[in-house]
Amino acid sequence: MAGILAPIVVYGTLFGLTYVLIALGFTLLFGISRVLNLAYGALYMVTAYMIYYFAVELGFNLLLSVAIAIAIAIGVGVGVFLICVRFAPDPLRFLIVSFMFALLLQYLFTKYFGGQSGLIIPGLFPVKEILIFDVSVSPVYLVTAGVALGLLIVLWLWIEWTQYGRTIRATAEDPETAALFGIGVRSIYLVVVVVSSALVAIAAVLIVPAQELTPTMWIEPFVIAFVVSVIGGLGKFKWTLPAAFLLSFSQFIVQFEYPTSASLSDIVAFGVAIGFIVVLPQGIGGIKRAH
Amino acid sequence: MELLEVSNLTRSFGGNVAVDSVSFRMTSDALAIVGPNGAGKTTLLSTIAGVLHPDHGTVRFRGRDVTRFPPWRIARLGMVKTYQIVRPFRSLTVEENLKLFDKIRGRVDVDRILGVTGLSEVRGQVAGVLPFGLLKRLELAKGLAAKPEVLLLDEPISGLSRSEARDLLESLLELKRSGVRMVLVEHRLSEILPIVDRVVALDRGRTIFDGTRSEFFQDPAVRKAYLGSEDVGN
Amino acid sequence: MPTDTAPSSDLRRRPVGGGIAGALRRGARSFAGSARLNASRLTSPLYLGALGVIIVFAYLGSGNPTSFFALSLVLSSIYITLALAWDFSSGMTGYLNFGLPFFFGVGALVTGQLYATDSHLTPSSLAFFSFGVGLLGGFLFSLPTLRLRGPYFSLLSFLLPLIGADFILAFWTQLGLRTQGYYGLPFLGATYGDELVLLSAANVAILTAFFLLRESHFGLVLRGIRDDEDALGSQGIRTFPYKVVAFTLASGVVAFSGATYAMVYTFAGVDAFGFAFILFPILIVIVGGTGELFGSIFAGYVVILLYQYLFPTFSDLTLIIFASAAILLVLFIPHGLVRQLRAFIRFMRTGE
Repeated sequence: MAGILAPIVVYGTLFGLTYVLIALGFTLLFGISRVLNLAYGALYMVTAYMIYYFAVELGFNLLLSVAIAIAIAIGVGVGVFLICVRFAPDPLRFLIVSFMFALLLQYLFTKYFGGQSGLIIPGLFPVKEILIFDVSVSPVYLVTAGVALGLLIVLWLWIEWTQYGRTIRATAEDPETAALFGIGVRSIYLVVVVVSSALVAIAAVLIVPAQELTPTMWIEPFVIAFVVSVIGGLGKFKWTLPAAFLLSFSQFIVQFEYPTSASLSDIVAFGVAIGFIVVLPQGIGGIKRAH
Repeated sequence: MELLEVSNLTRSFGGNVAVDSVSFRMTSDALAIVGPNGAGKTTLLSTIAGVLHPDHGTVRFRGRDVTRFPPWRIARLGMVKTYQIVRPFRSLTVEENLKLFDKIRGRVDVDRILGVTGLSEVRGQVAGVLPFGLLKRLELAKGLAAKPEVLLLDEPISGLSRSEARDLLESLLELKRSGVRMVLVEHRLSEILPIVDRVVALDRGRTIFDGTRSEFFQDPAVRKAYLGSEDVGN
Repeated sequence: MPTDTAPSSDLRRRPVGGGIAGALRRGARSFAGSARLNASRLTSPLYLGALGVIIVFAYLGSGNPTSFFALSLVLSSIYITLALAWDFSSGMTGYLNFGLPFFFGVGALVTGQLYATDSHLTPSSLAFFSFGVGLLGGFLFSLPTLRLRGPYFSLLSFLLPLIGADFILAFWTQLGLRTQGYYGLPFLGATYGDELVLLSAANVAILTAFFLLRESHFGLVLRGIRDDEDALGSQGIRTFPYKVVAFTLASGVVAFSGATYAMVYTFAGVDAFGFAFILFPILIVIVGGTGELFGSIFAGYVVILLYQYLFPTFSDLTLIIFASAAILLVLFIPHGLVRQLRAFIRFMRTGE
């Protein structure tokens, strides 16, 4: 049994940490805007492709490329936010627009970078694998987990212990009441947009070097973000971590029990999401109905 | 068996107890629930209608415990609530707003309802462009279209001018005569009290008065809540 | 202080049976009723206009049965069917259903697999069976997911096309399916011209059915859901069965469309799950105006023909142009070009 358990635990934990990063950004953003933004996953893709473009095609220094890519991702996120503010589409229209925007990016990247051509970003870290509990793990995953954990701790400290951080959390959990208290929701919204864009961009920087770039890679992080939020309760932070681990462990359990040629992780995510909706519509922490 | 019986209803939001162990029975044709701002009137009405669920207590309609029923089920049983902030179906015409409820609890006499609420002339207008006064009437008309035995009216005349309010209250009186029972939550005491028989007064979530209309003005607790002191103006 | 617009904390639902059966009964009754009383609605100018457009194009296209023009019209018919289904379910209720490509793909693959099993099956039986599978799938999917509010439903539906392709790629051996796809499916008709006539007839039937439903009490409730679902509930209308019926029907129609697509190209594969099959229907409905149904007819031909004729020049840039145009339209002309035009015409005529 230990043979199966160890990889599940190790990989489940590693991936779970990155899921938390992705989901936190999404939940923060949703909490404050109450609008579902399909373009969130697109930022992940933008970061990845921009790193590729600057580092591989233009030959810039890798760290510089990473920095530029993150900046661009944040820029795109803010751009979408500004459009949202300026044209104030209702949630339905915004959903459609964000979806089309993600598709547009997909088509653009398909055109300018080619389809599934196995583009890979050079990793920031050495490739030789090491052993944890007899499970051979690439250092990439370890550094990823380490950075993710570090970021989470920083975020948590910020949100729990600083005045501004607490304001942000309160606003994200209940923007209407916050507005009643005179909090400038819009400026907080901007800060949240920047932070969440940065979170998903960093997640991309960490995970992507292990994978190929494809123009459809905006979907996966979004699926993770959404499903984790459904499990943990949209807009609730406390439960994001356990929810993320629930998802990652479910996925790895299935993957090790039923190895198949194609990835089942989407299906597991979907199944978990549906399962939660049927049994516990509020999520662990409580879903709020959108207006 | 009363039509409506509320027992020990309690509902809090966070640390704030909005409705605190409220009980009353509807023993007359028209009941007003009054109280200063923040007294919990709207929360109480919403809880009775099933829009909110209470933390404790029960609501009985025709002897049946409807406390945890979803709003649509309570409405189907015959207790319908209208909204203080009007919620018309904006892309539908006035007539269509009423036709929605056709055959849910029996055929809807659209013409009669339009007549009683004074909306006959605008029946073909899209609801989204109606002026506020007419929207308040439409809110009442929609409530009627659901063929209620008891109508729960949440501030039916709020925002209306005195003359508009007078007209709407006339319609309510006509409805009362035709057999529709009603519970009204309202601020504007002097205008609605003439049409009700009994009054329940709330202050900070608690019942401070439950009696007839005439007893209402003399009650010391009521005077204290509204005027700040029992002795003023006696 | 929370107002009476606070949501019900009870998200659990009663057993569904009575509600759905009830809604079906009411829907059937109101459909029959509206078919009788509202037969007069079939003389509505927009309906006749839409019919006219379909007939004209069917005639034009069948004249030259192998031309690019005819094929483009055939494609238009398929996308129009999708647009109608999307408009009827999502456009009218406001519950955006991104799961369309899933049922489209299912329709195509079911057709492929059935034909592979028994090559004596006729195109119409294949299409009909796919319709049934779509109905069943749509119904099963709606049951857990339509309990949620619109945006959450949208996101779950968004997951569907993704897992559709994944599922098949993962389990193709166990299910006995072919991942490379099914070749050699029967033609829908002998020529593009024939196919066009058949698909146009299907479009007429679907348009008529959806139109009659829309004009009935059932359609009124759907539009009410879009305006204010909670207000419906507080006055006795339980919206869940209505939504389920609308989406089940739409899913069936979409699967039917997927089957016809497979037979037009004589190929069914995983590409049928692509997002193009939701992007274009949405674009068509945006151009034509949501909730109207007719706009989809006019806009369908315009959008698809435009795309077909621009593609040789711009190739993969065309998709980018159309996606950008879609975004701009949603932001700037949200009510649809057709409605905007009508308002403009009304303005020119009456100055209001």
